[in-house]
Amino acid sequence: MDKVWAVIRREFISRVRSRAFVVSTVLGPLLMGALFLMPILLEKRQTAPKHIVVLDAAGGDFGRQVAERLRLEMRDTVTHTIPRYRVERVETEGRVTEVRDSLVALTGLRKAGLDGLDGVLVLTDSTISAGQMRYYGANVGSPNDMQALRATVRPLVMGARLERAGVDPGVVDAAQGNVELTTERVTQGKLTGQSGSASFLLAYVMSFMLYLALLLYGMQVMSSVVEEKSSRIVEVLISSLTPFQLLMGKVIGVASVALVQLGIWAGTAMVLTTYRLQVAGAFGASSKSVSDLPIPTVSPMMLVVFLSFFVLGFFFYSAMYAAVGSMCNSHQEAQQSQTPVTLFVAAGLMLMFSLLSEPNGTMAHALSLVPFFAPFVTPVRYSLSPLPWTELLLSVLAMVAGLVVVVWIAARIYRVGILSYGKKPKLSEIMRWVRTA
Amino acid sequence: MPDAVLRLENVVKRFAGHTAVHGLSMDVPAGGIFGLLGPNGAGKTTTIRMIMNVITPDAGRIELFGGQPASRSLAGRVGFLPEERGLYKKMRVLDHLVFFGEIKGLTPRVARARSREWLERLGLEDWTTHKVEDLSKGMQQKVQFISALLHEPDLVVLDEPFSGLDPVNSQVMKDVVVDIAREGRTVLFSTHIMEQAERMCDRIVIIARGRKIVDGRIGDVKRDFGGSYVALSFGHDAPRAAPVLADRALVSQVDDYGASAEVRLADGADADVLLSRLVTAGVGLTRFELVEPSLNSIFIAKVGPEAATAPAEEVVRG
Repeated sequence: MDKVWAVIRREFISRVRSRAFVVSTVLGPLLMGALFLMPILLEKRQTAPKHIVVLDAAGGDFGRQVAERLRLEMRDTVTHTIPRYRVERVETEGRVTEVRDSLVALTGLRKAGLDGLDGVLVLTDSTISAGQMRYYGANVGSPNDMQALRATVRPLVMGARLERAGVDPGVVDAAQGNVELTTERVTQGKLTGQSGSASFLLAYVMSFMLYLALLLYGMQVMSSVVEEKSSRIVEVLISSLTPFQLLMGKVIGVASVALVQLGIWAGTAMVLTTYRLQVAGAFGASSKSVSDLPIPTVSPMMLVVFLSFFVLGFFFYSAMYAAVGSMCNSHQEAQQSQTPVTLFVAAGLMLMFSLLSEPNGTMAHALSLVPFFAPFVTPVRYSLSPLPWTELLLSVLAMVAGLVVVVWIAARIYRVGILSYGKKPKLSEIMRWVRTA
Repeated sequence: MPDAVLRLENVVKRFAGHTAVHGLSMDVPAGGIFGLLGPNGAGKTTTIRMIMNVITPDAGRIELFGGQPASRSLAGRVGFLPEERGLYKKMRVLDHLVFFGEIKGLTPRVARARSREWLERLGLEDWTTHKVEDLSKGMQQKVQFISALLHEPDLVVLDEPFSGLDPVNSQVMKDVVVDIAREGRTVLFSTHIMEQAERMCDRIVIIARGRKIVDGRIGDVKRDFGGSYVALSFGHDAPRAAPVLADRALVSQVDDYGASAEVRLADGADADVLLSRLVTAGVGLTRFELVEPSLNSIFIAKVGPEAATAPAEEVVRG
C-alpha cells in the first residue's frame, strides 16, 4: 500500500501548499471573527434613544402611564444600559388627525439637522376597548422595535381593562409578573448543562460545515480526476496502480485536507467562544451581552458521531464526483456535469433544516436510513435529541452499505472513464461500463 | 525464445467500428533495443498501451517477464514513457519525480537521490524546485523521460521518445537509451522515423494496419529482403541522372532525395553499367556505393500502399 500512500501524500501536500488553501484557511477564522463581532459593533452604533411622541387621545390616566412606562424601558447595549426611548406626551382636545399630521411631518427628519421625531404613537379610547393603537415611524421596518413597543404597551392595556372592570390596581400589578422559562438539555438521563439554543446552534453550524466541505472538497476530487485525465498523466499512473488504488488514494488525500482545514476552523471557533469575554472586551464591549450568547459544548461522543458521518458522507459523495470527473474531458465540462450530485448535497442540507423542528418524527427516522441524506440528518438529530444506540447503528450501517454500492459503481465508471476520450458518454454507455468493466 | 522479457500472442484490440490490432504476436528478447515501427495509425500506441496495462486486449495473451501484467506487481520492473506527455503542472520538478518513483515502488529517499542524479545528468539541476509549468516543453519531456527510468526498470517502453525534441536533446536521450541497452536491460521503443530505428535497434517489428509485416534482427530483415542497392550522391546536375534511373532494365526502384538517391538494381542488372552510364551523363557523382537496403526502403516497399491509406481510414473510422 506504499503506492496508495504516495498518492495520498501527493494529493495532500500539493493541496495544502496551494494558495487557495492558505487563503481559505485564514479567511475562515477571519470571517468567523467578523460574524462574532459584527453584532457587537453594529449595536454600538445605534445607541441613541428613539424620540417618540405619545399622542394621548385616550382620556384618563392611560396615556400618562404609557409615556411613563416607555421612559423606563431600557436597552442593553454592549457597553452600557441606556433608555430605549425619549418620550413626550401630547394631549389633544379632539383634534387628533390635525395634531397627528403635524407631528408626522416632523418624523424622520433628524438627518436634516432638525431634532426630528422617530415616531408617533397614537392612543385613542379604542386602544383600551378594542386593543387598537397606531404607530407612525421611521423604524416600522424593524421587527425588534415593533415587538418591543407592543410588549411595553400590552400589559398597560390589560391593566386598564381590568381596572375598568373594577379590579384592584395592586392585584393587577401582581398578576402581571413575568414568567421565565429556562431550558436545559438532557441526554441519556443526564443533565448536559447545555441550553436548548446551544444545541440548536451546534447542529446548525455542523451541518453547514458538512455541506461546505462536501461541496468544496468533493469538487476538488473531481477536478483532480479531470486534471489527470486531460493531461494524460493517468496513463503512467494506471500502468503502475490499479484504478481503485488511485481513486482511494485520491479520495483519502483530499479528505485529509478537508479534515485539517475543518480542524483549524473548528479550533478557531472554540478559541473564540472560550475567550469571547476577552475578545469582546478588546473591542470595548461589555461582557454582559456576550455572555448571553448560547455556547455549544461538544461532547466527545458528539464529535465521534459527527466525524464518522463526515468521513462516510465525504467518501460517498466524492466517489460520485470522481465518477463524474472521469467522464469529462475538461474542467468546464465537469462543472456542467456535476449538477445532479450537487443537487443531492443541497437537498441534504434543506432536509436537515426542515427536520430541526421535529428531529424525531417519522420523516427524520426514514431519512436517517437514506445514505444520500444520512450524513446531514443523523448528526443533527443526534445533537438535538438523544438517539438510541440501535438507531445510530442502523444509520451507520445504511450509510456503509450505500457507500459500498456507490463506490463499486463509481470505481467501474472511473476505470473506463479515465481512459475514454472524445465526446461525453451517454447514459446507456455508462450503464455498459458499469456492467462490463 | 525462452528469455523473452515480453511476449504477445495473437493480441487483438477492437475499438468501436474498427480493429486497431489484428492478432499480433511478437517476442521481445532480454537485452538490447527493440524497435516497434509502423506508419501513423498502425496500432503502435494501442499495442504499447496494452503492454502497459492501460487498456486490456480483447483477445490473446501478453506476458511480461513470463507473468501476467494485469496485477501491476511487475510495474516496478517496467518504465513507461507514453506518447501523450503529461505532468502535474503545479508540482515542483523534484517532488514530481519522487512521486513517480514512489508509485513504482521506490522509497522516497532513494527516489529523491536518484532524481537529483538524473536531473544533474540531463542538465536540469537548477530547476529542481521550480514548478513543472515553468519549464520549457523540451525540459518537461526530459522530466518525463527521467520518471520512466528512475526505478531502474528491466524493460523500458518508450512511445515515440524522440518526437518533438531538438537535435541536441534528441542526442542526449539517444545516449541514455543506448546506455540502458549496454547495461543489459531492454528498451522497446516505437517510432515512424526509420533512420533512427535503423541506427539504434537490434531487432524490429514493423506493423501496419494492426498486422505484423516484418519481424527480426535488422541484419536478417535486410538480407531476407534481398536485392542489390546502390547509394548515390550527386555533386551537380542531378536532373541529368533522371533518364538513367528511369531505365527499368537497369533500376527497378528509386528512392529519390534530390541531391542523393537510393536505387534498387533490376534483377540481372550490373552495377558497373549503371556507374558508367551515370558518369557519361555527367551528373558529378560524389558517391557510388553498393549498400544493403535501408530500413526506409524496406518499409516503403512493404507497407507503402497501406501506409498511404491507413491514416485516411483512421479519420473515417475514428
